[in-house]
Amino acid sequence: MSEVITPAASPAAPPSGPLHQRIAWHWRHNPKRELWLAWWALVVFYSLFWLMFFVITRVQPPPRPTADLAAQVHFFHVRHLGIPVGFAVIFCIGGMIATNNALIAYSMRRMSVSPAFAYSYLIMYSLSAIPGLLLLCIALIVGTLRPERDPEAISWLYDFAFLSFDGTMGVFLIGSLIWMLAILLDKNRVFPKWFGYLNLCNGLTEVVVAPCWIFRRGVLAWNGQIAWWLDMVVFGVYTGAFIYMLRSMILREDFGTGPLPELKPDLERKPKAGRSNAEAAA
Amino acid sequence: MSDLAETTKRGRSVPGQPDMWAFVLFETLVFTAYFGFYLFSRARSPELFLHAQAQLDLRIGVVNTLVLLLSSWSVARCVQSARAGAYGPALRDAFLTALFAVVFLGVKMFEWARLSHEGNGFDSNDFFTYYFFLTGIHFVHLLIGFVVLGVLVYQLRGPKMRDQKLVETCATYWHTVDFLWVLIFALLYVVR
Amino acid sequence: MAQRRTDGEVILLWTLPVTVIIWIASFLLFPGFNPPMSPTMSAEQVAAFYRDPAHVPEIRYSMIVFNWFGVSLIPILALIVLQVRRMAHRTPIFSYALLGCAAGSPALFLVANVCWLLAAFRPERSPELTQLFNDFGWITFTILVPFLIGQSVILALAIYLDDQPRPVFGRWVAYFNLLVAAALAPAAFVGVSLSGPLAWDGVLSFWLKNIAIAVWIVVMGVAVGQAIYRERAENREPGDELVSA
Repeated sequence: MSEVITPAASPAAPPSGPLHQRIAWHWRHNPKRELWLAWWALVVFYSLFWLMFFVITRVQPPPRPTADLAAQVHFFHVRHLGIPVGFAVIFCIGGMIATNNALIAYSMRRMSVSPAFAYSYLIMYSLSAIPGLLLLCIALIVGTLRPERDPEAISWLYDFAFLSFDGTMGVFLIGSLIWMLAILLDKNRVFPKWFGYLNLCNGLTEVVVAPCWIFRRGVLAWNGQIAWWLDMVVFGVYTGAFIYMLRSMILREDFGTGPLPELKPDLERKPKAGRSNAEAAA
Repeated sequence: MSDLAETTKRGRSVPGQPDMWAFVLFETLVFTAYFGFYLFSRARSPELFLHAQAQLDLRIGVVNTLVLLLSSWSVARCVQSARAGAYGPALRDAFLTALFAVVFLGVKMFEWARLSHEGNGFDSNDFFTYYFFLTGIHFVHLLIGFVVLGVLVYQLRGPKMRDQKLVETCATYWHTVDFLWVLIFALLYVVR
Repeated sequence: MAQRRTDGEVILLWTLPVTVIIWIASFLLFPGFNPPMSPTMSAEQVAAFYRDPAHVPEIRYSMIVFNWFGVSLIPILALIVLQVRRMAHRTPIFSYALLGCAAGSPALFLVANVCWLLAAFRPERSPELTQLFNDFGWITFTILVPFLIGQSVILALAIYLDDQPRPVFGRWVAYFNLLVAAALAPAAFVGVSLSGPLAWDGVLSFWLKNIAIAVWIVVMGVAVGQAIYRERAENREPGDELVSA
């Protein structure tokens, strides 16, 4: 396990002053700097993700499954630069997926439940990045590569990409259930129970997306009101919630093994080592 | 296991965990969205929907609704018994609830099978897409309900457990499942 | 805290030179890498490449060997993760993140591998389809960098934050990893053009990327080897040299 260092005699509070000074102080002295690094990476990742998928590549919201071959070819044609450039950024920052998952796995390690939860989640979500994200980006890039390609081949890439995005949600379903179970069983009160139930809501949303493999039109198609729009709303709420909850967890973190203390107005409380250990022994 | 801080400030609190009520609210919102889409689609092709709805057997729907309402009654009785400390009857009621749920599931699957045989499948037309979708997602909620009932039984069994708040939380979930079904029933079967 | 079990790590470490030799041999065998195939080849030219009787066995055997040994880098990544766990961190987040990165690139590499093998399996297929497989394989092979970049950046950060008198890895390893991460980044832009430095046969996307990966393997192999041997030496000595992790 990681070694816990008694912090050197450093000031209890960060200095006020220009932002770069404060950031430098935190980098050097904040005992939670690893966690904050991971959290900020999470925020940066999702911001860039949203920007790349919705604005630069414009592959979300997804196009219609019912588009004819000419329309599909046209779809790639107008994005022949946006897609390779936007996804290039995604591929540069893709490693952040690992830090995101590491932070969430850490939250489960902080709980009173078995480490099996953390490891399962880590493995599942690391795996899911490939069929659920990276392969479909590759398919879309290949689609833009040669405008003179046979339209049938382009159509195959079109289907492959958009079905991969919606249709590989099984991993997120089970992953959400694992996190939910960990939260509901947890005695360390790392997260409130409602957040556990929200994981269930997110998991159910993934179930709802599965019919996209069956329907080419209507509410359950890969661009349908239920399979995509409503799913995005739920996912958006969920993502916002877990980013917020992880921040709250980091603020409360005392590096003990007992229940996590509640958030107090004065942040960055020094951990009372004696109390945490005593509670853990109970 | 029981949350000391919460029980001491009982006074004006909701039955069960407030967290569960948050979940109920969220799911209700999501289902409201589903119903909204349904009504919108229905308004666009009323003839198709009316004709397709006629294929549904109202009697089966009524039976299912009654069964689920009975299950709500039995789980409510269970909570009452538990509150009074009568864990034997409470446990029996919990199993009764599960029994009603099994009956519901059985009837539902029978209905689905019959509709499919008649040629009305998931992708037959818009109405049946909604029908199978809504009843399907409700079915999933019911399956989760079995897990919840399992937690309930686990609580009622062991003398060490019996956290009344958790018992009420489970019951709240169950009532939600029933409530959603009533809405689905009204929308799909009755409103013509 | 009890010393961690380290039996067998040296053996795993020494699989690395073997892996490297096998990879280099397969790399040189695959005709598509020597010289790297041009993206501007027409479908007929690509089909002819796969139909060439001299190429077919070379493609198949090199890719089969790659298929077998594609994941043989993972034990080395595991050894690095274990060294990161010895660092003076407050949380296991860095080792978790590294674990999360470990399987990503080998998995993508295997996808590319399968695409090339498919293209070579029925060379009499329509040239359009062969070109599609070839494109998919090449793009995947070139763009498999995200987890490699992630790995390097995470390792660099872990090393920076390793606050102890004798850090597990020297600072230079961190700088080196950041350099490698920067060198791999251009390859992500492979889809932008069919010719020039960013194309999959270009200076940045092919030569720089693959050389960077090769150098990383060699340098990290040496670095983790040093760390492992030093740890074993420290464990053998009783007294204040004992590793307190």
